[in-house]
Amino acid sequence: MPALVSKSLRDYRRALIGWTIGLCAFLLLYLSVYPSITSDPELYGRAAAAKYPGALKDLMGGLDNFTTGAGYLQVVAYQLFGPLLLIMCAVVLGNRVVAQPEETGTLELTLTLPIDRRRLVLERYAALVLGLLGVMLVTFALVAGMAAANGMGVPLGNIAAAHAGLYLLVLLFGTVTVAVGAATGRKGLALAVTGVWAVGGYVVETLGRDVAAISWLRWLSPFHYYLDGKPLYQGFPFGDYGVLAGVTVLLLLAAMLAFDRRDVGV
Amino acid sequence: MTEVVETEGLTKFYGKRRGLEDLDLRIHPGEVFGYLGPNGAGKTTTIRLLLDVIRPTSGRMSVLGADPRDAAVRGRIGYLPGELTLEGRERASDYLAFLGAMRGGVPKGRIEALAERLEADLSVPMGKLSKGNRQKVGLIQAFMHEPEFLILDEPTSGLDPLVQQEFLAMVREVRTSGRTVLMSSHVLAEVQDVADRVGIVRGGRLVAVEDVAALREKAVRRVEFHFDAPVPPEAFENLPGVRDLRVEGPSVRCTLDGRPDALIKAAARFTVVHMASAEPDLEEIFLTYYSDEEGRHARAGVQEPA
Repeated sequence: MPALVSKSLRDYRRALIGWTIGLCAFLLLYLSVYPSITSDPELYGRAAAAKYPGALKDLMGGLDNFTTGAGYLQVVAYQLFGPLLLIMCAVVLGNRVVAQPEETGTLELTLTLPIDRRRLVLERYAALVLGLLGVMLVTFALVAGMAAANGMGVPLGNIAAAHAGLYLLVLLFGTVTVAVGAATGRKGLALAVTGVWAVGGYVVETLGRDVAAISWLRWLSPFHYYLDGKPLYQGFPFGDYGVLAGVTVLLLLAAMLAFDRRDVGV
Repeated sequence: MTEVVETEGLTKFYGKRRGLEDLDLRIHPGEVFGYLGPNGAGKTTTIRLLLDVIRPTSGRMSVLGADPRDAAVRGRIGYLPGELTLEGRERASDYLAFLGAMRGGVPKGRIEALAERLEADLSVPMGKLSKGNRQKVGLIQAFMHEPEFLILDEPTSGLDPLVQQEFLAMVREVRTSGRTVLMSSHVLAEVQDVADRVGIVRGGRLVAVEDVAALREKAVRRVEFHFDAPVPPEAFENLPGVRDLRVEGPSVRCTLDGRPDALIKAAARFTVVHMASAEPDLEEIFLTYYSDEEGRHARAGVQEPA
């Protein structure tokens, strides 16, 4: 492994471990109550419907079959909370690629090493990709294990499809943070841009199903390419995932080129 | 022989603010160049341009015969940033190993030897290093791969006097081995013992470049002789380089400009019981020498505290 990749992974390590523990605790908590929900589907189904009326229900992805295995897994892990937490994790780590070390000043010395600027971004980014992959593999093992233990009846292949889509979605938003940070050196701005796109994208994708005025915006939302193919029910939507991966690659290229062109730490 | 640094009309503006304007600077192989100026004069801007951390608005430069944009050339440079940030739980020794690996390896035992010399503790997590120790880690990483060219931005800040002496010895060793050093400071006193030449930058412009040996020749020093008996004033009058002569009985006081030879020979005719000679203050000379408009500006700037 190149020295800068392993060094960057060491820089991210504590955050990675912390987020992995937090995510696992969250998933464990919610997935372990699944048996009590299936014990009284009428009650919990109505309770969920009452708690999230109208548009809120749309925001939660519909909650139609909340009491089935796939429906519950979708709501708890893949609809809102999973992406939300993982995108936050990706933003925190994405800012550590360039913007944060630039603001604190530790990037200065790294920059004067005999390494090309584009390669510097690429290698620190590679560590982010690997780190997030680790988080995704651990959480996948947990979700797949809990689904099997609880007899949720969701095929492993479909969980893998949903998890892979989640990884691509999270990576895309992480790369947005990296790109804004690499282009401007400002982590606050990178956080803001990613946050606005993520929240806006989610709202447009979920509410846009029924609201014609904003439904045309759905193609701009990364969530569209993640949720629309219903991977947990239908397996890999390769075309949609290709869009997520393609945009991520373009953002990475933009990050490398932008960082190569500017003054650092001024 | 190619110059280590060669700039032509090098200019850097931060938006409308002038960082550096029209710098023509040459640093020769094997010399120690002192780069002086008050804070904000453009020293750090120059250094960061040479390392391709920032890009010039206009002008040309070459470092070790290459364009600073060429990443490979940075492996032949050792750099100590003016404001070195080290943080995290990583131990300093692990960080140094990483920097060494990135620069293509460091001779075995070299880091430990430097740490011992500077009395630096490398087992401490970097975020917990004191200011002095942080500076020592910075020096170790700059020197450890025996680079052809050392760029040191305010290297002595935060170091106690003993470590400063050790650092100056390290700089001399670098010069002895034929390598080149650029070190910045805001006072001449910090660099005059090791520098071959000094340049003064002020308000983004290089106002003077001077040879330190030549400066020493111009040195004015106060000299005092005490004899065992009163001496005749005429014995010391009209000696070359002697000024402000005051002869009072057995004591002679004067300021000496240039070589002390004639004065010593004149004094040798009597019995000397005591002699005192103050070290020349190069700062003073430098500034008297440039006592034009820019010199006065430089004086105001150079005396500015850190």
